[in-house]
Amino acid sequence: MLATVASASLSGAQGWPVGVEVHVSGGMPSFSIVGLPDTSCREARDRVRAALLSCGMEWPMQRITVNLSPTGVPAGGAGLDLAIALAVLVASEQITPLAITSVGALAELGLDGTLRPVPGVLPLVDVIAADTVVVARSNHIEADLVAPGLVRSVHTLGELIDILTGDVAWPAPPEAPEVADEPNHPDMADVRGQFFARFALEVAAAGGHHLLFVGPPGGGKSMLARRLVGLLPPLDREQSLLVSRIHSAAGELLPSRGFIRHPPFRAPHHGASSVSLIGGGTASMRPGELSLASDGVLFLDELGEFGPSTLDALRQPLEEGVVRVARAHGSATFPANVLLVGAMNPCPCGGAGSPGGCRCSEAARSRYHRRISGPLLDRFDLRITVARPEPAELLSTEAGEATSEVRDRVLRVRAIAAERGTPPNGQLSPLELESVAPLTAGARAVLEQALAEQQLSARGLHRVRAVSRTVADLLGDEGELEAEHVQTALVLRTDPLAGGRPRRRQHVR
Amino acid sequence: MFAESQLWAPNPSPALVDPLALPPAAWLTALASMPGAGPRRLARLLRRWPDPAEAWRAILEGDPTDIHHTLGKRNTPLVDSWRRFVAANDVAELWQLSSDCGIGAVGCTSPAFPSMLADDPDPPAVLFHLGNPDVIAGPRVGIVGTRKCTRYGHDIAKTFGRDLALAGVAVVSGLALGVDAAAHQGAVDAHAAPPIAVVANGLDSVYPRRNRQLWTDVAEAGVVLSEAPYGQSPERWRFPARNRIIAALSDIVVVVESHERGGSMHTVTEAALRDVPVMAVPGPIHSSAAEGTNELLRDGCAPACSVDDVLIELGMVASGRESSAETRPDPTGQQRQVLDALGWLPATAEQLLGRLRWSVAELGACLVALETAGWIVETNGWFERVARG
Ligand SMILES: [Zn+2]
Repeated sequence: MLATVASASLSGAQGWPVGVEVHVSGGMPSFSIVGLPDTSCREARDRVRAALLSCGMEWPMQRITVNLSPTGVPAGGAGLDLAIALAVLVASEQITPLAITSVGALAELGLDGTLRPVPGVLPLVDVIAADTVVVARSNHIEADLVAPGLVRSVHTLGELIDILTGDVAWPAPPEAPEVADEPNHPDMADVRGQFFARFALEVAAAGGHHLLFVGPPGGGKSMLARRLVGLLPPLDREQSLLVSRIHSAAGELLPSRGFIRHPPFRAPHHGASSVSLIGGGTASMRPGELSLASDGVLFLDELGEFGPSTLDALRQPLEEGVVRVARAHGSATFPANVLLVGAMNPCPCGGAGSPGGCRCSEAARSRYHRRISGPLLDRFDLRITVARPEPAELLSTEAGEATSEVRDRVLRVRAIAAERGTPPNGQLSPLELESVAPLTAGARAVLEQALAEQQLSARGLHRVRAVSRTVADLLGDEGELEAEHVQTALVLRTDPLAGGRPRRRQHVR
Repeated sequence: MFAESQLWAPNPSPALVDPLALPPAAWLTALASMPGAGPRRLARLLRRWPDPAEAWRAILEGDPTDIHHTLGKRNTPLVDSWRRFVAANDVAELWQLSSDCGIGAVGCTSPAFPSMLADDPDPPAVLFHLGNPDVIAGPRVGIVGTRKCTRYGHDIAKTFGRDLALAGVAVVSGLALGVDAAAHQGAVDAHAAPPIAVVANGLDSVYPRRNRQLWTDVAEAGVVLSEAPYGQSPERWRFPARNRIIAALSDIVVVVESHERGGSMHTVTEAALRDVPVMAVPGPIHSSAAEGTNELLRDGCAPACSVDDVLIELGMVASGRESSAETRPDPTGQQRQVLDALGWLPATAEQLLGRLRWSVAELGACLVALETAGWIVETNGWFERVARG
């Protein structure tokens, strides 16, 4: 006999509907899943059989064939266990087909028959076409977000069979755990002094410019970076759904009262592998930190300590705004629309980095600097040298502007870009810059001087122009770029790793 | 122009060169290339056999006991390794390579050997040179300091180098990065008294490579000296050895900027051993690059606050020279305020903003304008004031 139960499988952050068809017929006892390799097939069989036996049902000693439809969908994962178990029960006539009418199932089975949660419930449940979707207890709340009222959850397979075949009621949904979705970023008002770095954060948020802090330990680099996320615009509905899906697919806990509504902040450790940073890896291709930080901030502290190949793998996604992961069994695309903030010591001794303050050997220094490749450094429109605050600054009782005040200006600049019909300034193409960022004669002269002194490359020129646009927008100067705007952009883009040589040729006297 | 020459000027069949026609410099080069042939051992050989060709033959064919006796101590492995070296190497071939690079050599027993080095307690046995070794005459001042100098140290080293050269004083230094290079750059730019450099590696290659042009300029206008023969890389032990020659060659050593420890403090010790007066340039008390120099001043070193201080210490008449006329456009208004806020210590844009309390745009405009006008330079995000040239 044939039975079908609706389920879904995950590829990247995308759920795909899967119909689990089970056919039980006479013949040599066997179990196969069409199109799946033997190992995953055996694992599924072992889990489902043990679960059935442990709740007093039988494992048919017949020929069992499982087909996952439609074919060609990247299927797999333990989340199909429950659907297979239910379909086997019906196909072997242990429970009636009526019991599973319009029931979808999404859970892994333990050997003792317990339902286990799976990652990615949000995108998975979203694509299951059924009137009732059964998930593990701890997946209930998250699943309910996308299929409100349709989700049911139980602890064990035995409990589920009793409900489906008898007149036992579904257990009440679990209490929502308290996972706050309050914006948990620290406030800008806590920053004493550091007006330059504050301004850099404001420019980064307003224009979407990647930002690199260079300075000795104790300069407050990470303290500053954590405050950037509060300056970003809140997520719109579409972004919110996307970000929530990605977090669900990665098995991260979602906030209790719904989707993620605030820009995420991710700070992976420098020991993180390339896979955990970029994504991919397992069969279901988990999203990496780069995608988890999408529409928010990715903070890479101790940038120089990350593996060179890991940093190299960042470049393409940063450029395109998406991660493409290809594996033997398929490929996936994740969003990677992050604002990147890097922080690093100026040199291995970290001592000061100021002229005359460093005690590293020339060789050790250049080895350290080589870790940050030119093309990666190029991605940072803003490069800020952070020194330890001067005592007067630390003792200052003057509170800085609060996050909310700064964010108002950021939102205004973003709105200006939207009015122009262009992306945030950090993503303007050279062509768009021509029309959006015209230069006064004075501004042009400053740029020409910088080019002539080899302080800027052609690419650098575009980047400086984009930052100048953001600076001007922040100051409320919406017309042509003035010399002052370009000069400010240049000062926001010093080369912190220039190898101890002044960026300009010696002035000729 | 030195290192490359050997690439396209290969040795013209050394077998045809008559060994008797080789100059003493050829034999000195060969002897100094022997493993473990340090200055003291070489000096003993040269005192025993004033003609270096004879020393070479004595090692090759003579009685080893004689060599042991000359070294003052039985050292069979060393003498064996010398014999192997001497048997395996062709003096003419080595000399061809070395002389193709323009390297000359003079031994401590030669009348041409600089007298102040001949009388030194720890003299070099052989001195290799590029350029004209006869310039080692007249007053000489060593200028030394840290490789990682601030803009302040760089500017002072350069000014001192220039003004000493203009006053007829040869500048002695090590051609290292930082203070050394700045001092010699000043001396070369002056086109006056010849610069004298003492380096730690063989003269066939430039180290550090960043000083390639300066190295060539010094060799052309003056002389580059080394104790290391052709082909020797700058091994660690050669730097302190080089410092003693700088001290020995100098009438006065001026330390421009130095960390608490470092090569220039070692040169100071070597100078003290030779009763060569040491002067130090005072630095800001907050600057770690001036910890060594300020410590020297506290210990009683004479301060070198101007070139005239150095000239007077040398017993020369102060130059009375005004520093060159200011050609930079006078900063006014806000730019003047930025320059005042900056002072003479490096500062970040953040620190300047904290002192001035302006908007970032106001500061940014001033910084770039001052940079363009040559009043300040920016290195790795730090701004430093540039002294009048
Ligand atoms: Zn260092």
